[in-house]
Amino acid sequence: MDDSFLYCKKLLLVDDEPDLLNMVSDILKDAGFQTVFTAASVKEAVSKAKHESPDLILLDVMLPDGDGFSLMEQLRTFTDVPVIFLTAKDEPADKLAGLGLGADDYIAKPFLPQELLLRVCAVLRRTYKEDAPLVALDGCIIDFSRAEVLKGEKRIPLTAKEHTLLETLARNEGRIVTVDALCEALWGDNPFGYQNSLNAHVRRVREKIETDPSKPVSLITVKGLGYKLIARK
Amino acid sequence: MKSFGSYISKHLASFAAFLLMLILINLLLFGLTFCHTVFSDYGDTSPRAMLEMTAAAASTESLTEEAAEKLRQHQIWALYLTPEGECFWTLDAPEEIPQSFSIQDIASFSKGYLMDYPVFVWNTDDGLLVLGYPKDSYVKLTSNYYSMETIQRLPLYLCGMLGMDALCLFLAYYISKRRILRNTEPIAAAVRTLADGKPASLQIAGELSEIAESVNKASLILSRQNESRANWISGVSHDIRTPLSMIMGYADQIAANENASDTIRKQAEIIRKQSVKIKELVQDLNLVSQLEYEMQPLHKEPIRPAKLLRSYAAELINSGISEAYTMDIDIAPEAETTLLEGDARLLSRAVSNLVQNSIRHNPQGCDIRLSLKTADGVLTLTVADNGVGLTPEKLRELEHKPHYIDSTDERLDLRHGLGLLLVRQIVTAHHGSMRIESSPNEGYRTVLTFPAGSAKSPAAGSGTANSYPVVE
Repeated sequence: MDDSFLYCKKLLLVDDEPDLLNMVSDILKDAGFQTVFTAASVKEAVSKAKHESPDLILLDVMLPDGDGFSLMEQLRTFTDVPVIFLTAKDEPADKLAGLGLGADDYIAKPFLPQELLLRVCAVLRRTYKEDAPLVALDGCIIDFSRAEVLKGEKRIPLTAKEHTLLETLARNEGRIVTVDALCEALWGDNPFGYQNSLNAHVRRVREKIETDPSKPVSLITVKGLGYKLIARK
Repeated sequence: MKSFGSYISKHLASFAAFLLMLILINLLLFGLTFCHTVFSDYGDTSPRAMLEMTAAAASTESLTEEAAEKLRQHQIWALYLTPEGECFWTLDAPEEIPQSFSIQDIASFSKGYLMDYPVFVWNTDDGLLVLGYPKDSYVKLTSNYYSMETIQRLPLYLCGMLGMDALCLFLAYYISKRRILRNTEPIAAAVRTLADGKPASLQIAGELSEIAESVNKASLILSRQNESRANWISGVSHDIRTPLSMIMGYADQIAANENASDTIRKQAEIIRKQSVKIKELVQDLNLVSQLEYEMQPLHKEPIRPAKLLRSYAAELINSGISEAYTMDIDIAPEAETTLLEGDARLLSRAVSNLVQNSIRHNPQGCDIRLSLKTADGVLTLTVADNGVGLTPEKLRELEHKPHYIDSTDERLDLRHGLGLLLVRQIVTAHHGSMRIESSPNEGYRTVLTFPAGSAKSPAAGSGTANSYPVVE
């Protein structure tokens, strides 16, 4: 999936540690993000969130003039921007409090830069997915906005389930998506028992997107785990 | 508590035995004190024996000299009265004793005294033999009668009294035992709880309230210490996280920086790897202490271990595991529907620690296999590798030596990884058990077993799917 649209998103980092702020900001800029704002306090964060209207906020739980959770409540009064908590605690109580407020993800310190980027991109992609309607595969192009597969001159329509299946895989392009996660995406909570249906859908999708459906190169099986989608390099 | 009850029974029983012994001693002392008197009351020199002897030796004319001598020895005087109240003869009768008696006189002295001399009478064919003992030698009961009813009631009274006494004693024993137990049972239970390292709280009024207070105080101190220990660990691990983030972040950037020399990049890579180890250690340490002191309730919910295992394996592969390691996953069809009441985060952590152990101990690479089976309500989760394995001695050490967190032994070499301790704790928190199998070059297997239930497949009736996945 083409991630370049993500890098023009504006990010806001909130942390009381200036060194960490610099480092995370460097990591994000090095990865390609063009606009990264920083704030070291609740007051600054609220003001920047209002004036710069960021597309994603990375929030530390501990701040000098308040905590991240109450800051988040404050933010929610005027914006629905996705929030990722960055915290030095890994207790689930904190995690639940963060996600219960509607936080989109949670990163426990310490973290590796890749982990941070992965989560930031995942949340951005999830939130702004309509920005990426085209995914180029080895033998075709998937047009998600029109639910069609462009294979040479042909336009093959996708069913709703096939669309969801491909979209879920495309959002995690190059990464394994477990059968459980796919079933959940297709049939909602408590989806087990649908795995054979999933197999059938995968077969049908392969017929539409693969050049040779019996030797798939785009929608690959990972034995015992699930599937992954490989985009054209 | 049983031991405590029997302890009290034993003591009360010995108290009862002591009472019994006291009664016996009293009886013995009574016997010793009065045996002489009893002898004189009922023996050869008793009035009855004397009367019999005298009656046998007496005739209307006289008394044999032998009998007279015997009476004199005991300072006894004698009268032998005719049926009319006259004397046949007298022997040593004091002067104030009359020589003839009316019926009234005889009636009154026959059961009491004659001129203050205790006298005893004996009927013979010819008359009445009277023996007079010295003054103040005997006490005579002048009103020695009881109604028949009284006598008849006596056995009943005696049995009843003894029975009631026994019953009262038993009741006293039973009630006091129960009362003691009721008051001490919570104390013993609380002490046991404390011995398990858990906090205890006691509410007891009365004499034992002081003990209860001490127990509560001890519990408070214990839980405060545990709490402060857990808080301390959590605080340290919290404070380490932010600086460690920066070490990891910059090391990672240097390792990827193309402007840096190869040596510097390699060194940065080592810093990065080691800081990841510190990160894992910090997380494990915090979790272990939280679990150890029950600072944090488990977030248990019905989870599907099959899903958890797949999601963990996918995550590991997605995060970019080295080529040297292969990851196999083998979930038995029947294990697919198995549900486990558990904390998904912790269980995932346990699996992760076992896999990381395999990776750490096999730097040359190995095949890692996760498998899941269910049989007879028991879920078996195995993490196995085909790596270097352990020698039998190492294996024994691993199973029996306490971790330094649990050990008061100061020799820190008597320890093994925090990771395995955490796995053990997580398994215990899920009522499961853990077994390690390994031999040199045969790989290393950790088998976790949990009691598990089965879930109904919501799609089972639809006919569209089996309840297990067939990933083609």
